[in-house]
Amino acid sequence: MKELDLLKKDWQRNDHTLSQFSETEIYKMLQKKSSSIVKWILIISILEIMLWTILSVCFSTDDYFNSLKHDEIFVWMKVVNYFNYGVILFFIYLFYKNYINISTTASTKKLMKDILKTRKSVQYYVWFNLGMILFSFMLGIFFAFAYNPDVVLLKEKINNNQFILLLIIVVLIVAIGIVLGAFWLFYRLLYGILLRKLSRNYEELKKIDL
Amino acid sequence: MSDALEQSFVQQLKANQNIIHKICRLYTVGDDAHKDLFQEITIQLWKAFPKFRGESKFSTWAYRVALNTAITLYRKSTRSVKTISYEKQEFFIKQEDYNFEEEEQLKLMYNAVYQLNDIEKALIFMYLEDKDYHEISETLGISEVNARVKMNRIKGKLRNILNP
Repeated sequence: MKELDLLKKDWQRNDHTLSQFSETEIYKMLQKKSSSIVKWILIISILEIMLWTILSVCFSTDDYFNSLKHDEIFVWMKVVNYFNYGVILFFIYLFYKNYINISTTASTKKLMKDILKTRKSVQYYVWFNLGMILFSFMLGIFFAFAYNPDVVLLKEKINNNQFILLLIIVVLIVAIGIVLGAFWLFYRLLYGILLRKLSRNYEELKKIDL
Repeated sequence: MSDALEQSFVQQLKANQNIIHKICRLYTVGDDAHKDLFQEITIQLWKAFPKFRGESKFSTWAYRVALNTAITLYRKSTRSVKTISYEKQEFFIKQEDYNFEEEEQLKLMYNAVYQLNDIEKALIFMYLEDKDYHEISETLGISEVNARVKMNRIKGKLRNILNP
């Protein structure tokens, strides 16, 4: 087939016209996989904080706390809220730093270290969030018992009956367990997939790095 | 040491990168897609590198891994294959003995090659690289007879595309 021969000649003649990558560019390519995962961790964490902020604006709890008629609650809520946002922003900064570190690393050893660091910071982040949820839950219960007029009736009953007290404690623990479990599942799905990919990359690097 | 291994890999890859560039040229259109495939092949090669013990030449081994990567990736996205117009490619560097008729023929030919499927492209690639059937069969993991038969079919297909 004469066209094919023509093509073959042209194919081999064109070798020198191909663009070439430098060694540094090739090194970078080897690292890019992890960096794109870490980039997603950063993006998701930012989206998450936006989601919570929007949710808290939409479902304002102000009315409920107003009905309790104790202004000091607002101060407490504000302190907790600011603290929460402060820590989350700090984590986002950490994720950003991890991302920058991983996308600019040139050696496998350093990359492995950075991957471990990223994994740890994500784990701390998830634990912090779960802790915060538990804490707000407890705070909510405390406020309810301390200030909510509806609960006063309940309190009187509890004082008379040990069994109801036990029942309420059990119900609360189960409720907390379910809420925490749901959030835990949520985080597992959200970050678990990315973390697993990251640790697979890590294992691959480890195999190479004997 | 790992750093030495990595260094040796990067050096060998750099020296043999034309192989990958040419595969990318055959399987992708556009700079971005070319770079993406190049990177994917690089990562696959790097992953497989610890198993490469220098029994064959780096280039022979790279042919195999790179083509497999291209075929697998191409297969995944095969549903979104668009008709590719060869005009968009920048293959044609004007030769000194510029020949209009030859140029036209080449254009048609490249266009025809683009319409082949993933496996056929791999075979044509090996053919264009001037590999014999023994090497083609080893690289693609098919028998020599099968490679010959396939190659003949591809030639027929190309002829059909050129003269519909």
